Amino acid sequence: MGQIILDQVTKSFGDVNVIPPLDLAIEDGEFTVFVGPSGCGKSTLLRLIAGLEDTTSGHIRIDGRDATELPPSKRGLAMVFQSYALYPHMTVRKNIAFPMKMAGVDKAEQKKRIDNAARALNLTDYLDRRPGQLSGGQRQRVAIGRAIVREPAAFLFDEPLSNLDAALRVGMRLEIGELHNRLKTTMIYVTHDQVEAMTMADKIVVLRAGVIEQVGSPLELYKKPRNVFVASFIGSPKMNLIEGATAAEHGATTIGVRPEHISVSPTEGMWKGRIGVAEHLGSDTFFHVHDTGLADMITIRAGGEIDLHHGDTVYLTPTPDKIHRFDQQGLRVA
Amino acid sequence: MATQHSKTAARWMISPAVIMLLAWMIIPLSLTLYFSFLRYNLLMPGTNPFVGFENYEYFFTDPGFQAALINTILLVVGVLIITVVGGIAFAILLDQPIKGQGIVRILVIAPFFVMPTVSALVWKNMFMNPVSGIFGHMAKSIGLAPFDFLSQAPLASIIGIVSWQWLPFATLILLTAMQSLDQEQLEAAEMDGASWWSRFWYIMLPHLSRAITVVILIQTIFLLSIFAEILVTTNGGPGTASTNLTYLIYAQSLLQYDVGLGSAGGVVAIILANIVAIFLMRMIGKNLDA
Repeated sequence: MGQIILDQVTKSFGDVNVIPPLDLAIEDGEFTVFVGPSGCGKSTLLRLIAGLEDTTSGHIRIDGRDATELPPSKRGLAMVFQSYALYPHMTVRKNIAFPMKMAGVDKAEQKKRIDNAARALNLTDYLDRRPGQLSGGQRQRVAIGRAIVREPAAFLFDEPLSNLDAALRVGMRLEIGELHNRLKTTMIYVTHDQVEAMTMADKIVVLRAGVIEQVGSPLELYKKPRNVFVASFIGSPKMNLIEGATAAEHGATTIGVRPEHISVSPTEGMWKGRIGVAEHLGSDTFFHVHDTGLADMITIRAGGEIDLHHGDTVYLTPTPDKIHRFDQQGLRVA
Repeated sequence: MATQHSKTAARWMISPAVIMLLAWMIIPLSLTLYFSFLRYNLLMPGTNPFVGFENYEYFFTDPGFQAALINTILLVVGVLIITVVGGIAFAILLDQPIKGQGIVRILVIAPFFVMPTVSALVWKNMFMNPVSGIFGHMAKSIGLAPFDFLSQAPLASIIGIVSWQWLPFATLILLTAMQSLDQEQLEAAEMDGASWWSRFWYIMLPHLSRAITVVILIQTIFLLSIFAEILVTTNGGPGTASTNLTYLIYAQSLLQYDVGLGSAGGVVAIILANIVAIFLMRMIGKNLDA
């Protein structure tokens, strides 16, 4: 079980109010991702749930039990830290055994769980090494192993992949995803990378300055961003935001069109522009189009085979039903 | 480019410094060694005949020798225990966020800047003196007889004074080590259900082990040659109760004007210090690798 409910939780450091009253429900077995720009309070929120920070007011309930005043070790949660936080003087085996040793699990059971975790995480050959002798990805797996053996109600991940290189990050993303499918345990994952959020989450919580901007499944957020912030934060490349007369034509203050929802043609279309940088990725081509009179730059995603280059004049046409409209407050107009 | 030629040139260039250093060390050492084999007493000038190991025989059979050896060990070990344990405690306390942290840290480090002679005199006259010392006043104010530290527990008193001087050093080194401990490790241990004591034992102490090694190594070297504190407080007494090897050598060579005997003591002290150094390096120097 691992249902976590935040009820009017706030956090202040001195006079600085980091998290204004916040409500959030995380259901059992869900993979929830907290995403937002640096300093938006997502790590603080995770540390509040973990118990590493005290809540200023409000309640945290884990499986229906009020855990607001419980110390971290009594909440039944396991955490994987950004720096892995392995114990450098202990072997991998002792690192993984540490939480069980503290809980007084008997030796035979310890060994069984260590072996299971090591097998699941491909660590069997490294059990007698020290963290200093392992690569980044292996350390990450040890940190996950140390979390697994506790059989926690929920896993908390604090930007676990940000210290890995791009290739490893993709691999570990898959491993964590598979782990969630196998264990079916609640996981809360903090990241500033919207790609990680989109690929792994059942539910994404977008945060800005401690305030939840939107909660929903990745596709909900992609299809129906509640406001301009979510619209520009979710999706890569970023959504094009257009203001002024063109927006007014659609009865909005701002309209947003995703790069993949604009078709490009060398001969005819709604908006005329000139191609700046063209990024040919093979599968896709990203064009940065200037001089449209709409915004500084409009980003377009087109097929990989398209034969347009720097300096070409092009015509752009947005897909009519994929235009997002936002009002003066930046909120979505239905 | 290090050609054969430039290497030779480099050797020529560096040799004055090396020769200077060698002379600096070798000449006093060999003179001491030479004097230790002579009957060389300043009260009987004139002949300095070669007497072989006679001086060494006198030194080893001196009634004070055994006591001095034991006192030296007690002094070194006692101060090490107090400063390392106290240093760890202070380092953990000073690592906590408190108001006026900077001032507190400077205050803690202050004793290290006081000269040994001065601090020993302050302790002797203002704290431990049964008539004018604070401890004596405190004892009297609660109706107890003042305790005469320096005559009734001379060695323990000196251990106390020396510990007071060296505690800041240990604290300083251990505090910097403490500050380099990754906070996430402590948080991870907290999540893992470790009590404060377990976190101290399994995380902090192993992290500090290297710094503790440094403290023990450096302090041992200095503590073997404690002298000023003994000279100004107890003069090695009563009897030989607070005489260590350094003080014994001083007492024999200078107080008895016997250069030969003092030199023999010096050579013995060098040999003993080297034995200790080798053992220390073997035992805990391993900690410094990797």
